[in-house]
Amino acid sequence: MARRGGDWVYENNGGTCVAIAGADYCVVAADTRLSVGYNILTRDHSKICELAEKCVIASSGFQGDIKALQKNLSAKELLYQHQHNKRMSCPAMAQLLSNTLYYKRFFPYYAFNVLGGLDSEGKGCVYSYDAVGSYERTGYSAQGTGSTLIMPVLDNQLKSPSPLLVPARDAVTPLSESEAVDLVKDVFASATERDIYTGDKVEIVVINKAGTRREYIELRKD
Amino acid sequence: IFEYNGSAVVAMVGKNCFAIASDRRLGVQLQTVATDFQRVFEIHPKLYIGLSGLASDAQTLYQRLVFKHKLYQLREERDMKPETFASLVSAMLYEKRFGPYFCQPIIAGLGQDDVPFICTMDCIGAKELAKDFVVSGTASESLYGACESMYKPNMEPDELFETISQALLSSVDRDCLSGWGGYVLVVTPTEVTERVLKGRMD
Repeated sequence: MARRGGDWVYENNGGTCVAIAGADYCVVAADTRLSVGYNILTRDHSKICELAEKCVIASSGFQGDIKALQKNLSAKELLYQHQHNKRMSCPAMAQLLSNTLYYKRFFPYYAFNVLGGLDSEGKGCVYSYDAVGSYERTGYSAQGTGSTLIMPVLDNQLKSPSPLLVPARDAVTPLSESEAVDLVKDVFASATERDIYTGDKVEIVVINKAGTRREYIELRKD
Repeated sequence: IFEYNGSAVVAMVGKNCFAIASDRRLGVQLQTVATDFQRVFEIHPKLYIGLSGLASDAQTLYQRLVFKHKLYQLREERDMKPETFASLVSAMLYEKRFGPYFCQPIIAGLGQDDVPFICTMDCIGAKELAKDFVVSGTASESLYGACESMYKPNMEPDELFETISQALLSSVDRDCLSGWGGYVLVVTPTEVTERVLKGRMD
């Protein structure tokens, strides 16, 4: 098992990841701080990995496991490309990630993931995971140390039905792309104030029909 | 033990006014026992205390505080200032340092010249004064995030009511131990408005 006597093999490197799905875009954002305990190891570490053309994963948790997981997924995606002569779609990657995580059910990846991208119809999709692969397609999600601070604000602001409403309705938000990016900047600013593991910079990746663009916004460094 | 009954309390400062709000659920771990439980109590018309944490300790603490305040009123022939009251609560909690009351109080009041005052403390009396908002209870992390995003300084009473209600309802919706609506009190130098909110009834 993961713990034997005193050997605790995991560590939480902190950080927060957020993703929001729109009608024809998807915003995935994560802060760039890497910490261990009360120390900061670096202010410039990306938690986001582009797995396929329209599919991006952001993970927070134990960076050792996250690096391994992202490498594993990239390799599987490459194999898929060779075998099927096309890149993996976002829903396919979502299932692959779930299976990869569950494969290590009894010695899990300490990784809290958020997968974002465009599905085969070009609509935004966000998939949210727990550490052992349970996943759900939602309109927005936050994972990591700042997730409890951010989720209520996203529930309140995104006019799309939250996963809490029954019956489940179409999950994408009617907000425009720039409004969604502004919302992400605001929530990260708030989370930075109150969560010690979140801060330094936020890397925002926006995926839409035209392609993928990246921007960096400065956050409080304390 | 702080998560035995479930609670969410928040207070915010506006322009010459303050608002204090709480959820209404009383549970015994996962079972809901009451949906109209009062957590915010009046000490005098310009001073209120919200007690989150173990419900039994919250009620006992409230009864002891009212008792002490009534004696103060008899001796000094006036109401206690919020700053003084906060020190009183802090001292009472620290008396029980090695067998504490499992409560996290939030004190909100209008002090000298009707300047709004809010503060919170941990279960053994460490005071934390704030100029903007204070939160406590099982939903405190969610409340921190929501309040931080929604708060702005110098809000009028109506806007303050809207802000605190939205922050409270969104935060308790992400916490299974608190909810069943909200109870908001907005206090200005001239009037006190009590409102009950209907949220997700779970």
